[in-house]
Amino acid sequence: MTGKERILNVLNKKETDVLPWVPFAGVHAGKLVGFNAEVVYKDADKCFQSLKEVNHLYKPDGQPVMFDLQIEAEVLGCDLLWAEDSPPTVSSHPLSETADIPTKIPTPDEGRLPIELEVMRKMKAEFGETTALYGLLTGPFTLASHLRGTNIFMDMIMDPEYTHKLLDYCADVAIAVAGYILDTGMDVVAVVDPLISQISPDHFAEFMTAPFTRVFDHIRERGAKSSFFVCGNATLNLDPMCRTGCDSVSVDENVNLAEAKKVCDKHDVVLGGNIPLTTVMLFGTQQDNMKCVVDLIDSVETKHNLIIAPGCDMPYDTPIENCIAAEQAVHNTDAVREMVANYESSEIEFTGELPDYASLKKPLIEVFTLDSIACAACTYMLAVAMDAQKEFGDKIEVVEYKYTIPENIARCREMGVKQLPSIYINGELKHSSLIPSQEELYAEIREVL
Amino acid sequence: MADFNAISEMLQKGKAQDVKTLCQAALDEGVPAKEVLDKGLLAAMDIVGEKFKNNQVFVPEVLIAARAMNAGLEILKPLLVSEDTDNAGTVVLGTVKGDLHDIGKNLVKIMMEGKGLKVIDLGSDVAPEKYVEAAKENNADIIACSALLTTTMGQMEKVVHALEEAGMRDKVTVMIGGAPVTQNFCDSIKADVYTADAATAAESAKSICA
Repeated sequence: MTGKERILNVLNKKETDVLPWVPFAGVHAGKLVGFNAEVVYKDADKCFQSLKEVNHLYKPDGQPVMFDLQIEAEVLGCDLLWAEDSPPTVSSHPLSETADIPTKIPTPDEGRLPIELEVMRKMKAEFGETTALYGLLTGPFTLASHLRGTNIFMDMIMDPEYTHKLLDYCADVAIAVAGYILDTGMDVVAVVDPLISQISPDHFAEFMTAPFTRVFDHIRERGAKSSFFVCGNATLNLDPMCRTGCDSVSVDENVNLAEAKKVCDKHDVVLGGNIPLTTVMLFGTQQDNMKCVVDLIDSVETKHNLIIAPGCDMPYDTPIENCIAAEQAVHNTDAVREMVANYESSEIEFTGELPDYASLKKPLIEVFTLDSIACAACTYMLAVAMDAQKEFGDKIEVVEYKYTIPENIARCREMGVKQLPSIYINGELKHSSLIPSQEELYAEIREVL
Repeated sequence: MADFNAISEMLQKGKAQDVKTLCQAALDEGVPAKEVLDKGLLAAMDIVGEKFKNNQVFVPEVLIAARAMNAGLEILKPLLVSEDTDNAGTVVLGTVKGDLHDIGKNLVKIMMEGKGLKVIDLGSDVAPEKYVEAAKENNADIIACSALLTTTMGQMEKVVHALEEAGMRDKVTVMIGGAPVTQNFCDSIKADVYTADAATAAESAKSICA
């Protein structure tokens, strides 16, 4: 089953072979190829290059193309503050001092929309058959807050009429942008509205139900699938969110996934979530990520209608090996559950002996993998080492240690191996997570020959 | 007889004009301004904070309640004698450098003011030195830093360092908060207090200054 089939199956309420996985790699994609956030979101070719690498290393079933909630706002007159390691932030709100409702609808040639749409077309051409592609747009409430600033919260109480009009306008913008996105062939449109968690269910019903329903109706009429992304503790709004006609919702770690699943099941809406971004993905170890994902999956009672994803857009500096581990835990849950159990078990001790690295007869290339068959990054890492074996023949020795075997877990612990996959040459860590080119690895081997 | 319940009810509903009228009525009856403040406005804001913490009210309700509180304060302020306004403590507050997200920071301000604390609000995108300068100028008890981005929360450590360099580390408590911030992070950068929400931040600040 391809990733695309998995996502479309789950969104069509059909069975999948394994749980679908959607890594939210926005600016983080740039880290894989060494581009900063600004480069990734301002240059279509470099963005595409970064996303290609995401597709190779993280094996997404569904993949968001750009995770930037400022694109529409920028076209509509908001200034942006750029950073090297995070998406831009809106720094001015053109409607903060006026009660006017704009009429301007962004056209596909304005602002950074041409870049985004170009990347979508490239992704469609490259991965359209194998990966379900997600086009993201800014939800009406968050767009309204970009335009109006925090006044929008007071408006809901002080001037409901104005609030309705502004949200209607923002829904018009969302519908237009959804159309452009779908013209490029995206499979899923994600309406991303982090701010939804900051209002009550009553306010949701009063202000959000109508515009959001209109956006999701439009996406459905175009024959595409939809998702409603939210951040923060949106627990109480999950029920009304499910009633807006979206095919799926995605939540972050502030929501209890198991409880959320029960709400979504009532409405037969697919739920995605919610690996913690900071504590686990950014600051945790590879072990933490494997354990967290397995526990997350185990916590949810019914496994149909379920997608595993990070809580939200991954931080730029999320260690690559953490995301690789999360992918493994989603797609090979049982194997990873066992790895975690073995790792945690104090009974497994390293009984062998580490090589005497100082006096080796020939260069020793040790490849540590999670599982070189199931894990894409591990496959590539092992492949480049095997290429070296062919190139250098019996002048070097190449060994693989798979983490699926308990003894190898003990070996990793003994050696202090923290990232998988990784390559050690003569006991020294040379590469982890990112796969070296042949030339790079060959040069390193020649140095020690 | 001053109707503190009515003040509380109107404040929670965000009815600024009614709060104003009721505060004036209480003053006209001879209730001391300090009492109207404590038993009326601040008590009501406490309830709002508690409800916010428990997900019973959300950002719009808090902002509108704060607006009503400020309307009441306008009436009381000229009558609050200096010992009344000897505030319970001073907090220098801001969103850290590189970060423009201020909704959470503004909520913290509202909740802290609701506890009677004096808050020096430096806004957003605040450089570490600025926190320290403001703390020095205002003889602050607390510096409170907010961040929404995983990429800006590192600035909080710089605030701690800037305080150390200014030789003020033992005089000022550093509080931190914001979506990506955790207790572990707080420990790792040697800040003093992490709180998960605005209402708890205000409670902690109040007890630190007590």
